[in-house]
Amino acid sequence: MKISFNWLKEYIDLSGIEIQEVIDKITLAGLEIEEVIDQSKMFDNFVIGHIKEVKKHPNADKLHLCIVSDGVNDLKIVCGAPNVAENQKVVVAKIGAVIPENNFEISKAKIRGEESFGMLCSERELNISPNHDGILVLDNSLEAGTTAAEAIGLNDVIIEVAITPNRQDALSHIGFARDLAAIFNRPVKYPSLDMKEIEEESSSLASVEILDPDLCPRYVGKVIKNVIIKESPEWLKTRLKSIGLRPINNVVDVTNFVMHEVGQPLHAFDLDYLSGNKIIVKKAGDDKTFTTLDSKKRELQSTDLMICDSQKAVAIAGVMGGENSEVTLKTKSILIESAFFNPSSIRKTAKKLGLQTDASYRFERGTDPDITVWAAKRTAQLIQMTAGGDICKGEIDAYPIKFELKKVELRFDRISRILGYEIPSEKVVEILINLGFGIVSKNELSATLTIPIRRHDIEREIDLIEEIARIYGYEKIPDIERVKVTLEAKFDETEFENSVRETLNGLGFYEIITNSLLSESVAGRFGNSIGVLNPQNMDMSNLRTSLLPGMLTTISRNIKVKENNLQLFEIGKVFNKNSDVIKSFDDFSEDSMLLGIITGKSIDTEWYSKDSFFDFYDLKGYVYQFLKSITDKDIEHIYISESNQLFEYSVKLELDGEELGVIGKLNDELIAGYDIEQSVFAFSFNLEKLSIIPVEEKKFKELLKYPKVYRDLAFVIDNNITHNEVSETIKSGSSKLLHNIKLFDIFQSESLGEGKKSLAFQLEYYDETRTLTEEEVEKDFKNIIKSVEKKFNAKLRG
Amino acid sequence: MEQRIIEIGESFTKELDIVKTSKDLENIRIKFLGRNGLLSQLFEDFKSLPKEEKPKFGQTLNILKNTLQNKFDEKFNEVSEGEKSEKSFIDFTLPGKNKSKGSKHILIQTLDEIKNIFKGLGFSVATGPELESDYNNFEALNFPADHPARDMQDTFFVNPDFLLRTHTSPVQIRTMQKYAPPIRIIIPGKVYRNEAVSMKSYCLFHQVEGLYVDKDVTFAELKGTLVSFAKQLYGNDIQYRFRASFFPFTEPSAEMDIWWQPAGKEGRWLEILGCGMVDPNVLRNVGIDPEVYSGYAFGMGVERMAMRKYGINDIRNYFDNDKRFLEQF
Repeated sequence: MKISFNWLKEYIDLSGIEIQEVIDKITLAGLEIEEVIDQSKMFDNFVIGHIKEVKKHPNADKLHLCIVSDGVNDLKIVCGAPNVAENQKVVVAKIGAVIPENNFEISKAKIRGEESFGMLCSERELNISPNHDGILVLDNSLEAGTTAAEAIGLNDVIIEVAITPNRQDALSHIGFARDLAAIFNRPVKYPSLDMKEIEEESSSLASVEILDPDLCPRYVGKVIKNVIIKESPEWLKTRLKSIGLRPINNVVDVTNFVMHEVGQPLHAFDLDYLSGNKIIVKKAGDDKTFTTLDSKKRELQSTDLMICDSQKAVAIAGVMGGENSEVTLKTKSILIESAFFNPSSIRKTAKKLGLQTDASYRFERGTDPDITVWAAKRTAQLIQMTAGGDICKGEIDAYPIKFELKKVELRFDRISRILGYEIPSEKVVEILINLGFGIVSKNELSATLTIPIRRHDIEREIDLIEEIARIYGYEKIPDIERVKVTLEAKFDETEFENSVRETLNGLGFYEIITNSLLSESVAGRFGNSIGVLNPQNMDMSNLRTSLLPGMLTTISRNIKVKENNLQLFEIGKVFNKNSDVIKSFDDFSEDSMLLGIITGKSIDTEWYSKDSFFDFYDLKGYVYQFLKSITDKDIEHIYISESNQLFEYSVKLELDGEELGVIGKLNDELIAGYDIEQSVFAFSFNLEKLSIIPVEEKKFKELLKYPKVYRDLAFVIDNNITHNEVSETIKSGSSKLLHNIKLFDIFQSESLGEGKKSLAFQLEYYDETRTLTEEEVEKDFKNIIKSVEKKFNAKLRG
Repeated sequence: MEQRIIEIGESFTKELDIVKTSKDLENIRIKFLGRNGLLSQLFEDFKSLPKEEKPKFGQTLNILKNTLQNKFDEKFNEVSEGEKSEKSFIDFTLPGKNKSKGSKHILIQTLDEIKNIFKGLGFSVATGPELESDYNNFEALNFPADHPARDMQDTFFVNPDFLLRTHTSPVQIRTMQKYAPPIRIIIPGKVYRNEAVSMKSYCLFHQVEGLYVDKDVTFAELKGTLVSFAKQLYGNDIQYRFRASFFPFTEPSAEMDIWWQPAGKEGRWLEILGCGMVDPNVLRNVGIDPEVYSGYAFGMGVERMAMRKYGINDIRNYFDNDKRFLEQF
């Protein structure tokens, strides 16, 4: 909403207060000023000039050479306007002026060989109207040298105000002035409604019937006859233009003026086009379309509230009037509408129509039913002032549902209990009275107040406390520096997730965050996806059932920019429904998942190493390190060789029979769908399951005091025997002195024979209580060799 | 004996020839010249020789001993010289061996920063589901039935009763239903708004909210807590202001602005968070008596905070996860 300071000053005396102070204080009080346009600054270097002499330009037929006095000096100016003449008073843009229309800065110029020291301006160049037929010629009584800002009334300051949805009462100049009145403790000046009325009653010329009183609790009409529709006077046009409205004609301009003055949207009907001279307020019902005054055909819902005459609809209530009854140059008699409509009904209609007007914007936030009569009178008064005519006596006031004044009790001690600061009760009362609240009764401890109906946002004591605080000034309430804390035990439900992140960071993984919304087909591929009713587009219509699509999209996008070597993870929620209809939280699951991938090269070609690609064993190593940060328990690996839709091959990880997650090489076809041609190895865990693995309390183990003994050995065995089988056999064939078995080499070669491989192990022996003897290690070592040779038909190498 | 003397001499020469490191050299010294080495054994055996043979072998043995020692010393000098010069050839300018750094997403890092400040101020950290009930997200938080935020245009609905939470405030409701005051929590998490994806907006973002409910919690204390937070995050010398505002679940409500002065540009007030005293209706909805308890709540968006801090101008960068972006943080 735009507010003009010149206009505002009609309703409140702001003398002695700097504009900046007004802006700062009102912003802190909740009417946020978003932009300030100081017109006079825009018109620096623009002055009124007196044209002393006009001659033809020697080198151009359409140009003139003018001598213009700026009050001090005579300036030589080249002008191309057809209407330029001697003795005119015009607006001169001197050197340094910036033309508002196009931000062009005036400098000394040579035009067809003649010097020019400025420019004579048209209305369009000054941004005051679209007129560009010639230069703006002003009243001859103006003195040369006067600043243009002053001379043509462009000395206003316009502010753009952001109004929160609860403060519809401030959506007008008077509404804005009411807050200023409370802040600066000055009265609001309402314009007087002096006017001449004829004897004929408004109610004898028109009638109003409300068929849906819930949607229209009050409808006020007033009639004015014998008007002459024409252009508005300058003062009215200036007001409207200052807040960015386009003047249309005197009657329409007055209705707009009063709306921005007091906040009540108004409409003027041509009474001669209202059949039966009657207004009927009712729902659209069977009417399917309606043509609004912008000549557009609108589709109606049967529940839209319409203003009708005895035969037809004439306006969409609170949104826009109809073409069939609008005020035209021929209009003689007018019915002024000043009504209160149900806010949510107007909101629904405006939204369905995709049509937000200044009127609907106000009605859907809730206007003031108490101002309707005043606004109708004010409109009649101003129409008469600008269009002549006879104001008919009284108003037609259909008011089927009366609004009761609310009463609220305020306990003074509650103010300091909520704010933590005591505001003197005299100050409290002053603020409330200045805001228009009435005092019903008051004692030392409390006061009972009546609330003006326009303040739909105020119903309770706490609402009054907010009013007091914001007007008194939040800045005056101290910031308590010694902050209270509670001494109970603290919890952090993000702790586990965060430790997972940190472990993976330590292993070189980067965290990603991807969109939780996917297309139905993608989400459906990995689970029972849940759709949203109102997606932005079909690529984001369903909740993800897996982190995989987001991850694959990320890999693909990175490969496109040649970032092929990736180590990534995401922690996020996935959603699956387990019932067709979601009625409760039991009908779906929301799981916290971890997905990690490695792809590309683990080492690029470097001076110290040849390049090498990530493989399954890199994956297994990372996962092993990761799981070690969570539990010391042995994880069971269940190898799944056959490929499924996710993996080429995979290993399921279990703990005590409970599945924790899965690792493997992603299915080639799956990743090809994302244009990924390199192998991707992935791990996926349910974080919830990892987080509930009981963490055994750490106990310090004594450090070994006796030396360890190492023995190396290598077997040649059949290729299809796994490392696990051999190491299990070593374990079972040895004494408890053997503590660790490490595979340190594996190779195949012709010399070993076809289908054979060599596995080399290092065995670690020790005893916590003594130094081992050569003999006992040797004995154990020989037993191992025997049992492996026997079981696998293996041969000891070397 | 003679045979052995020749053999030892030959194998010593052979082994010494291929030695490259001082470690291998030491092994040879132990094997041949050590206390229990081969040479010592020869001298040991020499003792048991018949008298007549002693002079002959004694001389030969001494020659062998001197020869081996000389050759050894010569090799020793050669090897240690070589090793010394090798050390001086280390090229310190060669790049170190590459390791992937790994990092948390910048939004999580920013969340952590906020979280740590509030943990220091005695707040716990609570979380909750993203797919929420309309009741927890709106109704219990005092949003009237026809509030614009409850409209389909602003919120993703799964059905009329379930939706993607539009703020982390439903966790306030969940926590107050579960625990009795005092409650002092912050709630980080993902939230959703039905907005088109563009430079400035995304359909989801991250939020941190705070809630403190206890006896005698006041607006002055809310201000003090948030000023302390802002000073820890933005520096001690910030200029700030609290501006009256409106949220359905707080009354009085405010927005906190700080003075933002980007280098070489005009300064301006910048909104960093919304806050207020918990509306009595919200407390009543979770069975807390607003006559006995009061509380404050606040909330802030993480994406915008990080955008300002790091000069990120397109919100989509966060969710594109380009490695060149990830590696910067």
